[in-house]
Amino acid sequence: MKLSLSWIRDYVAVPEDFDLKKLAYDLTMSTVEVEDAEYLADRFAHMVVGVIQEIQAHPNADKLRVCKVDIGGETKEIVCGGINLQEGMRVAVSCPGAVVRWHGEGEPVVIKNSKLRGVESFGMICASDEIGLGDLFPASREAEILDLSAFDVPAGTPLADALDMNDVLLEIDNKSMTNRPDLWGHYGIAREIAALYDLPLTEIRPYTTDAQSDFQVEISDPNRCSRYIGVELSGVEVKPSPYRMQNRLWKAGMRPINALVDITNYVMLATGNPTHAFDADHIVDHITVRHAADGEVLKLLNDRELTLCEDDLVIADSQGPVALAGVMGGSKDSILPDTKRVILEVANFESTGIRRTALRYDNRTEASSRYEKAIDPERCEQALALSMQYFQELYPEMKVNGCCDRYVKKLQRAEIDVNLKWLAKRLGKDLPDSVIGRKLELLGFDVKTEGGNMHVTAPSWRSTGDISMKDDVMEEVARMYGYDHFEATEFTTSFHGAINQKEQDLIRNIKEYLAFRCGMQEVYTYPWMNDTFVDAVLQCRDGVLKLATPPAPDFSCIRSSLLPNLCEAAAKNERYFDDFSIFEEAQVFFDRNYSSPYDESESLPEQRRHIGGVFASGRKDITALFREAKGALEYMPRHTHMEPFTFRKEEKPLWADDVVWLNICLGDERIGDLGLLAKKVSMECGIKNLSVMLFELDALKLKPLKSRTNRFTHLAEYPETDYDISMLFESNASWADIYEAIMGKKKASALLKAASFVDEYRGKQVPAGKKSVTVRLTIGSDEKTLTSQEIENAANQIMKKLHKAMGAELRTQ
Amino acid sequence: MRERIIAMKERITDILSEVKNKISAAVSEGELQNVKSAYIGRQGALSLLMKELPNLVPALRPEMGSLLNQAKKQVTELVDAKRMELKLKASEVSPDFDCSVPGIMPGQGGLHPITQMCYDLNDTFRSMGFEIFQEDDITSELYAFDKLNFPQNHPARESMDTYWLEGHDTGSTNEKLCLRPHLTGGSVRYMQTHKPPYRFVYPGRVYRNETTDAHHERAFFQYEALIVDKDITFTSGKVMIKSILSKVFGTDVAVRMRSGFFPFVEPGFEIDMECQVCGGKGCSVCKHVGWIEVMPGGSPHPNVLRAAGLDPDEYTGFYVNIGLDRLVMMRYGVDDVRLFHSADLRFLTQFK
Repeated sequence: MKLSLSWIRDYVAVPEDFDLKKLAYDLTMSTVEVEDAEYLADRFAHMVVGVIQEIQAHPNADKLRVCKVDIGGETKEIVCGGINLQEGMRVAVSCPGAVVRWHGEGEPVVIKNSKLRGVESFGMICASDEIGLGDLFPASREAEILDLSAFDVPAGTPLADALDMNDVLLEIDNKSMTNRPDLWGHYGIAREIAALYDLPLTEIRPYTTDAQSDFQVEISDPNRCSRYIGVELSGVEVKPSPYRMQNRLWKAGMRPINALVDITNYVMLATGNPTHAFDADHIVDHITVRHAADGEVLKLLNDRELTLCEDDLVIADSQGPVALAGVMGGSKDSILPDTKRVILEVANFESTGIRRTALRYDNRTEASSRYEKAIDPERCEQALALSMQYFQELYPEMKVNGCCDRYVKKLQRAEIDVNLKWLAKRLGKDLPDSVIGRKLELLGFDVKTEGGNMHVTAPSWRSTGDISMKDDVMEEVARMYGYDHFEATEFTTSFHGAINQKEQDLIRNIKEYLAFRCGMQEVYTYPWMNDTFVDAVLQCRDGVLKLATPPAPDFSCIRSSLLPNLCEAAAKNERYFDDFSIFEEAQVFFDRNYSSPYDESESLPEQRRHIGGVFASGRKDITALFREAKGALEYMPRHTHMEPFTFRKEEKPLWADDVVWLNICLGDERIGDLGLLAKKVSMECGIKNLSVMLFELDALKLKPLKSRTNRFTHLAEYPETDYDISMLFESNASWADIYEAIMGKKKASALLKAASFVDEYRGKQVPAGKKSVTVRLTIGSDEKTLTSQEIENAANQIMKKLHKAMGAELRTQ
Repeated sequence: MRERIIAMKERITDILSEVKNKISAAVSEGELQNVKSAYIGRQGALSLLMKELPNLVPALRPEMGSLLNQAKKQVTELVDAKRMELKLKASEVSPDFDCSVPGIMPGQGGLHPITQMCYDLNDTFRSMGFEIFQEDDITSELYAFDKLNFPQNHPARESMDTYWLEGHDTGSTNEKLCLRPHLTGGSVRYMQTHKPPYRFVYPGRVYRNETTDAHHERAFFQYEALIVDKDITFTSGKVMIKSILSKVFGTDVAVRMRSGFFPFVEPGFEIDMECQVCGGKGCSVCKHVGWIEVMPGGSPHPNVLRAAGLDPDEYTGFYVNIGLDRLVMMRYGVDDVRLFHSADLRFLTQFK
């Protein structure tokens, strides 16, 4: 909302020398956020009123003229292409240094002395939109110069003085006052400033009339319209409003239209209460405020034709609706060029009904956005008084034919009891009763203090929901006293024992393990998935939840797995990297197993927390990549202190290669998968050259250990020897079987302490159908240092066992 | 004869002192080798003296022989000692070794910068006795708005454009499901299921159906901190805010609380911190006011406490809700919020 300080000064005597920075700061700290305080005159720096004395043709251009312009004490030659130039005309001259926009468009430009087609030009004679005044002085045709002849000022008068622009515009963040319907007008802010600085506030005296007539207004639903004042006026006409009114409307961001409409807008901007003027000659019989009939049709001022429903409130005459109450007038009743008689409406409509209607037809207006914040009906009197003041001022000949004030649902001022001890405790400060009382009285509250209790009656303009309980009163005291004046107080606390959140810690441990030990980079992706990746990776949409209004049509599915988005991330990163690993931890959602963990009336879908990862490489072979991914998972339980899981091969994930995949199991339950992304899926994901290993785990299934549980092993007393053997196995022999054969229940040698995989090899020196596996045997004794013969014997024993169990042969080559 | 012996002894002493000087001056293995052959080699000075022994009277030969052997041994020892000294002194590597080659980065991985910020804050709050809470992303309108004192048809419901779920986007508020537009509804769930007093933080992702640009995202992170107890004042909140900001920026940061409106708090605040770019003097980052809005806060509204099953006459509290994305952007000078969900490694690997 934009506010003019000079307008505010109509209602509160802000001293002339008042520090405006401080005003903006204080309003920001205690009431509303002032986003900007602009000295309006700055926009018109280096601009003056000039009087054209002589117009000559331009020697080199048909459309240009060379004007001699008196700019106060001196005459300058200015080249101009305006089509309405006349000798004696007052014009706006931008002298060198002024900032304008060419033809009202593009970036601001600083005016300099320049040559136009070979003729020196001092500055520029401006069109209204070139100096930002297009709305205040609309041009009727192209290349029309702003004609200021109506402003009776001498040549050389600064433009800001001539046009009454020596003002400050306050720009207030609307969001910061959605809860303060009383502030949506200049008077409301003036009232707040008066309270802040204890300055006198100008009272708007109520309008009284003894006009008697049969002019009537009927209200059918007092809950939707608590008050309606209608005034019938004759002897008015459509004409421009005075410049002062136009100027203020423009400053507040509205376009002047004609005097009748301008008065209604001006009063709304002043009081915050919308008003409306009907052409009385188009109203048949009397006015009724009623619900619309279902299917009733109303054509609005903006030419939209609405088919109404019963929940809408309309202003109607005996022929049908003439306006959508509190939202917009109808086209039938609007002020027309020949309007001579009007009915002025000053009314109060219930907030939520107005809001429903405005939203229903997507037709929000200045009026509806004020009504929907809940305006108090007492304010109608101010709005009426101001309206009548301006009608009388602009139309001295006007006659009031009738006035009807139907106030059918009185406002109850909010009454609240506040315990002063409670207040002191919450404020953390014991303010004297007199200080508290004064702060509240300045804001319009009535305060009665008796014993430890303060009985507070809120002013009418704060009684529509804004102030309703003692916490609200506390806030008023605190903000008026100034939040800056409360010192930070330390928390007092009682000791409740150490915090122990195993599940929370486990997820963090896993993420830190993946990042810092496994060298993976954590990524975030959106919860919605692209259909291409859903179809490629998940291959099935059963149980997938969807958004009603997705960010894009092909992003409606929300994730039941992290893998589609991780594959998309891999595809994106392939452009820049050929060897990387990433992981993500996030929630996934399923359209199943609905439950009500907190509130019985609620029914929430199944939501899990998954951890997924990608190992992508164009450099490593599949075995290396597989072992890297498997290693990250295999060692995860040990490093993050959770119950170990096992790998099984039970059910191939749909996205996985036929051979390279494993299920991750905790006990008998499958809690995740690991595998190579199938070539076909990879292609569909747009991954061109990388091999991709994926894994995904349900983190909620993981079981953190109570503490670090591994036990200490004694250090070997006698030396142990590492002894590598390479043997030829059938190509399909598994390491698991080899390990089982030598380390299983019946150990191949009593001296064998450990066996580990070194590598496997298929190739030149290995016969077809075979592979060579190198195993590192750790051989030692608890009783003595072994001789080399004893070590060799043990190794031979193990090789024999492997030969017997698996047909392995010692590699001779 | 006597003179001869004296002369020979003096000669040995001279030779040894010569040797010592030469060895101490030697800087290479070659020089040492030369010293060795010049004195104890076949034609060396001491060896030549040895050859003179037969010319002595037999009675004196053993004494002189032993003196000469000792001298030879001493030379060998001196050479060996110096040789060891030279060996330990020298580098094993070519003098051309280039020490300016870059090091190899250990552990390529890393956490997302927002996770890092979140963990920094978790650590701070844990140290102050706060629990960490986590809740589900999908919630009902009941918890997204009703329980938070958003009246039906209130404009504030609309200020948070919400992603509703297909098939769950109509009906009464307990039936309508959405991706949570903020975290505070989850805080009510926490309070419903725990016994007061409360002291917890609640990090999480929230969703708004908005048009995105460099400063607006559809998915972003909030960090909520809530303390509810008897007898606390709204000014205690200042301590909480200062703790957060000093952790994030590493120094004490000036903060101010000013009037603000959010349906679920009463009183409500906008919390500003002193602009860290200009130190409060005013610059383009803070729009020349010296302050930057960082979070809303306030005391939980009595209706919110009631929804959580508490008596607002007995309990009150303080709440802040921090936009993590914004804080991370300020911490690192990131200028486009959309990078956080880009999964772009060129961006993410910058934060270690």
